[in-house]
Amino acid sequence: MGEFVKGLWRENPTFRIVLGLCPTLAVSTSVTNGIGMGVAATFVLVGSNIFVSLVRDIVPEKVRIPCYIVIIATFVTIADLFMRAYSPALSRSLGMFVPLIVVNCIVLGRAEAFASKEPPLRSVIDALGMGVGFTWALILISAIRETIGNGTILGMPISNTFEPPLFMVLAPGALLTIGILIAFINYFTHKLGGR
Amino acid sequence: MGQLLKFGLILGVICLCATLVLALTYEVTKPKIEAMLKAEEEAALKVVMPEADSFEPASADGIEYFTAAKDGTLRGYCVRVTAGGYNGYIRIIAGVDVSGVIRGVRVLEHQETPGLGAKISEVRPGDKDPWFLRQFAGKQAASLQVRRNIDAITGATISSAAVTDAVRDTVKRLMEKVKK
Repeated sequence: MGEFVKGLWRENPTFRIVLGLCPTLAVSTSVTNGIGMGVAATFVLVGSNIFVSLVRDIVPEKVRIPCYIVIIATFVTIADLFMRAYSPALSRSLGMFVPLIVVNCIVLGRAEAFASKEPPLRSVIDALGMGVGFTWALILISAIRETIGNGTILGMPISNTFEPPLFMVLAPGALLTIGILIAFINYFTHKLGGR
Repeated sequence: MGQLLKFGLILGVICLCATLVLALTYEVTKPKIEAMLKAEEEAALKVVMPEADSFEPASADGIEYFTAAKDGTLRGYCVRVTAGGYNGYIRIIAGVDVSGVIRGVRVLEHQETPGLGAKISEVRPGDKDPWFLRQFAGKQAASLQVRRNIDAITGATISSAAVTDAVRDTVKRLMEKVKK
């Protein structure tokens, strides 16, 4: 259980470990994108953690990175193909960032730091925690950016009375949102006893 | 040397397993992906050529188009247009009647900047079709020109011009071919 909870907050990949920022910055322009990316990354995390954990005793130390990358790339391609087949609109708006999950440092980070040393069951729980942690972080960031920058939430317009500041859905908005959120989270974590 | 072989073998076995799994996934998803793309295009054909109900694929000198007919009478053509956008290709489908007047234009796929170029296919709340592309309908294809009879999108002049120029040039070439 502890392995699951740590990904949600204490070791949250986005806000605490600050990994995988490239996809976070790029796809958090709408909540739909955020959820899609989060689910795809969680699937890849779970799949790759299981297999990295299963082969951890037969893979020699010196070739472990290529082995992990092959495993991760396999799951990413599966996720990509299934998204194209069943959700073409989402796959199109995520574009290049689905294949790029291969180099998402959260996935390789968990394979290297956790799954390569732990049994499969614990690795799955770790992957689920990290995946859910990544997903809620993405949803939070994209909800802020979509509401302010586009005036919509989940694609539904919320108000026609103001012209949304466009920069919030462009790159500067991503950096500002993530920066401010991390600052808040660090401040409160510090206040609550530095844990 | 023995160690090298062992490393290569292990990596090779893992790659082999990965290949098998991927080949299987590809075979399973391929028909589905193709069906999706086809359905999307068919839906777009009806939108850009509302007065026709049967579409036959044809091609002339590298231009792929569809002849659009209703009750056996030729009503016009639908043509696949590819524009070089601000960020990669924009795939468009355009419908034109026999005299070269645009009936409708739809963007199938693009990678333009969100909030700026992406407005080429934006549908405003309460509207049914994208406001930028609506300007094309009813205009002579050869006359299309940004700032002359097509209003460019604020902050996205390149994307607007790319769509306009590509539709004009491709339809013009198609009309020359089909008139012969």
